[in-house]
Amino acid sequence: MRSASPARARFVSRLVEEVALAAPEWRDPRPFDTVYFGGGTPSQLSAEELGRVLEACRGHLRLETPAPWVFLEANPEDVTPEVCAAWRSLGVRTLSLGVQSFSDEALRFLGRRHDGRQARAVVETALAAGFDTVSIDLIFGLRGQTAEDWRRELEAAVALAPQHLSCYQLTIHPGTRFGVQAKHGQLSELPEDDQATLFETTHRFLSDAGWPAYEVSNFARGPAHQSRHNRKYWDHTPYLGLGPSAHSLAGPESSFARRGEAPPRSSSPVRFADASGPARRWWNERGTPGWERRLAAGERPIEAQELLGPKDLAAEALLLGLRTTAGIDLDGLRARYGVDLLAANDTLVARLVDEGRIVVRTGPEGGRCLVPTLSGMAVADGLAAAFDLSLPN
Amino acid sequence: MDHIRNFCIIAHIDHGKSTLADRLIQRCGAVEDREFRDQILDSMDLERERGITIKANTVTLPYTAKDGKTYELNLIDTPGHVDFSHEVRRSLMSCEGALLVVDASQGVEAQTVANLYLAMEFGLQIVPVINKIDLPSAEVDRVMEEIDRDLGLDPFESIQVSAKMGTGIDDLLEAIVTKLPPPKGDPEAPLKALLFDAQYDSYRGAVLLVRLFDGKLKAPTRVRLMHSDAEHKVEEVGNQRLKRVPVPQLSAGEVGYVLAGMKSLAGLAIGDTLTEADRPAAEPVPGYREAKPVVFSSMYPMDTNDYEDLTKALEKLKLNDASLIYEKDSSAALGFGFRCGFLGLLHLDVVQERLEREYDLSLILSAPSVRYRIVLNNDKEVWIDNPTFYPDPAQIKEAYEPYIKASIMTPERYLGAVMELCRERRGVETTYHFLAAGRMEVTSQLPLAEVLFDFYDRLKSITQGYGSFDYEMLDYRLGDMVKVDILVNGEKVDALSQLVHREFSRPRALRYTERLAKKIPRQQFKIAIQGAIGGQIIARSTINPFRKDVTAKCYGGDISRKRKLLEKQKEGKKKMKMVGNVEIPQSAFVAVLKTEEDDDDE
Repeated sequence: MRSASPARARFVSRLVEEVALAAPEWRDPRPFDTVYFGGGTPSQLSAEELGRVLEACRGHLRLETPAPWVFLEANPEDVTPEVCAAWRSLGVRTLSLGVQSFSDEALRFLGRRHDGRQARAVVETALAAGFDTVSIDLIFGLRGQTAEDWRRELEAAVALAPQHLSCYQLTIHPGTRFGVQAKHGQLSELPEDDQATLFETTHRFLSDAGWPAYEVSNFARGPAHQSRHNRKYWDHTPYLGLGPSAHSLAGPESSFARRGEAPPRSSSPVRFADASGPARRWWNERGTPGWERRLAAGERPIEAQELLGPKDLAAEALLLGLRTTAGIDLDGLRARYGVDLLAANDTLVARLVDEGRIVVRTGPEGGRCLVPTLSGMAVADGLAAAFDLSLPN
Repeated sequence: MDHIRNFCIIAHIDHGKSTLADRLIQRCGAVEDREFRDQILDSMDLERERGITIKANTVTLPYTAKDGKTYELNLIDTPGHVDFSHEVRRSLMSCEGALLVVDASQGVEAQTVANLYLAMEFGLQIVPVINKIDLPSAEVDRVMEEIDRDLGLDPFESIQVSAKMGTGIDDLLEAIVTKLPPPKGDPEAPLKALLFDAQYDSYRGAVLLVRLFDGKLKAPTRVRLMHSDAEHKVEEVGNQRLKRVPVPQLSAGEVGYVLAGMKSLAGLAIGDTLTEADRPAAEPVPGYREAKPVVFSSMYPMDTNDYEDLTKALEKLKLNDASLIYEKDSSAALGFGFRCGFLGLLHLDVVQERLEREYDLSLILSAPSVRYRIVLNNDKEVWIDNPTFYPDPAQIKEAYEPYIKASIMTPERYLGAVMELCRERRGVETTYHFLAAGRMEVTSQLPLAEVLFDFYDRLKSITQGYGSFDYEMLDYRLGDMVKVDILVNGEKVDALSQLVHREFSRPRALRYTERLAKKIPRQQFKIAIQGAIGGQIIARSTINPFRKDVTAKCYGGDISRKRKLLEKQKEGKKKMKMVGNVEIPQSAFVAVLKTEEDDDDE
């Protein structure tokens, strides 16, 4: 069990306060059907502390009955059979393990505290604990990693048979340890051709093994195990984020303040008068101290917000859609944002179809979808920029 | 009239003409030392930077000579390049004498000779000036020998100066007074004044610089321009010092400025003659010739929104560059622009740089072209300077291209390379003869089109900077031209089409496709860049598509960052030209259309 820590206790209390402050301003009538503990190291909180947060959510927000699907990200070193049982009893149904690798060498390079053997043991523990979905995160594209090395990692993962896999290519961000190393020339991202090879290897291998991709970095053993929560980020389903640097999105249909109502008490001067208005995304103070300070003052710890008009939402729908195997629902895009993507990009689409980057096909609901192929998904960022998103206005 | 001396300074580029002019101005006290800015006559930044005078400026200097009399020295500045020979002629015509400057270490060069011939054509008295005698590399004796042998002038008449140090300037001023003749003319005859330059002043409009041959000129006389047949009322006349100084009247032999209420220089032709409307001269000043452009190129603003600005800038530039001609043009790839005619390649360069610097425009210029004479099957004759209008080859009976007579001076050791260059460029009747000690003059009859394409840079490089080049237009000769088109993914990029001699079509097309392939960013699909003559592909380069650029994670906080990045990318794309679905950055056009080889890896 976790030992008590005053800092942690204070953090949890503040989080509980934030739930209470945020709840009255959350106007979306739909119940929350998922709760996600992630970003940072939520498994460092004790089960009891996690329970306090969940309790606060239950008390202030409308959660789905009988219970929402709870996700928890966990560090391998925090995982024991006992704590798994405690998490299960809190309602955690997806446990996402930051395994990163099964290779001692790679783990050392990544600065992780566990080794390959522990990684395997932890996955087995989680699987034995009876979660609906156990997901493991892996990283590829490390310096010196060959396609063969990476294939061995994938084989190890598949042999353990988790329900879900996230495989992220190592990305070097400035300001991180890797960023600093890269700046000094001690580290670099793989050359593009090698990246492409590893990316394709990942998708082909996992698809053949029975874990087809549903997004650039996400693979599931059947649709039921796809992340119900993460998909919301990709299709503009509203979400409320709590904690330092958490992002939230309120859709136009979940009007922030309905007609005739007083404006919210938050820092937002904007009122959404009707459902055709903009969506709103806001994010919390990035640093924990700042976030705590705002809450201590009785304020919502919102750092900034942005309003998303049809053009912004369409741009996001495009860039997000091209990252998923479901692709972009063209009819939906037109209905929601007034963008006729095919008409505005006919020669581009023809060329990309010709090059095998995308296909246009009938979706499960009968509408037309623009779907990236594997090689198209590999260049989704560039593809998104290539399309013309002219709106009628 | 005896106290007036009208003279100009002629020199090869870099031989120190501007510095010498500065020194004369300074010595005559036309400017306070503290106001002195080096190379005052070259008022444009561009001129100062390149060390060449592009636009003639003129200044009147008071000088008290050793004989105790005060003279009015009119220094008429001349453009320093063969492209501007038209303007040079006008300036020379306004003078009685010329200082021919020769660099004490470089010696006589191609332009020195060309300038001398021009000056002699106008009957000017020449005073040779050996400049830069302070340089350690100065070889005054050798240069004197060259002046004797190559120029046929008496070297002992020459004045040795160092414009930089100020040595010999007094001797030179005395020589101007004693060796150059005063002007002649009849102050009582009907007004006959040569318009040799015009400047644009944003407050006063057109400022006409004139040389009076006969008669008098004062406000408010009505004057007529004899060639353009326009009449204007004179508002002010005066001397062009470093500032304009009004005087009651100008008289025969004098040089000065005229303000006549003209809002712009449009319609003003340098070389025109001003006369009195009520009492016109019988004949204009002889030798008027229209400046004929020989090099053509289309100019487009980088940002199509700048088209209006370009229009205005060209109008303004035209105000003080009468030789620039332009008309509207448009390209599918580059939008609206102008087809411009230039007196030569340097003129083109100068116009481009002035537009970019003085008017803050970014431009793309199409490959320079000459004007071809095409005889069609039905014996109709057409003149083509724009590849866009090149007729269907099946309809062409004969095509003629302009030739020049090139004169190249080079140290003897580079003779072989220079001869080879002329041969490569389809030169005919290439001959050479010895000048003074170790120097050669090569003459060759070359198609002008081959000179437009990096000839000068190649010459400089094969002669390690020692070669100099000058040319005059010769005639039109039968040629074998083809139109080379550049296609990007099957679509023609009209701005990149060019007319080339058949023999050079493949290397030229290859060079274009390769440069484009280097400059066009990779995209999500393969890009084929082809060079073609009609339907026949003669060169090809390929740009492979991206294989992987997608970022790994995209959750809550990543999304707006990604959207903003996308917006930024889209903004960047606005600066690209779309041909088919391929984004071609402006820099690709610039790189391809550049004639120099400097950025080439090969």
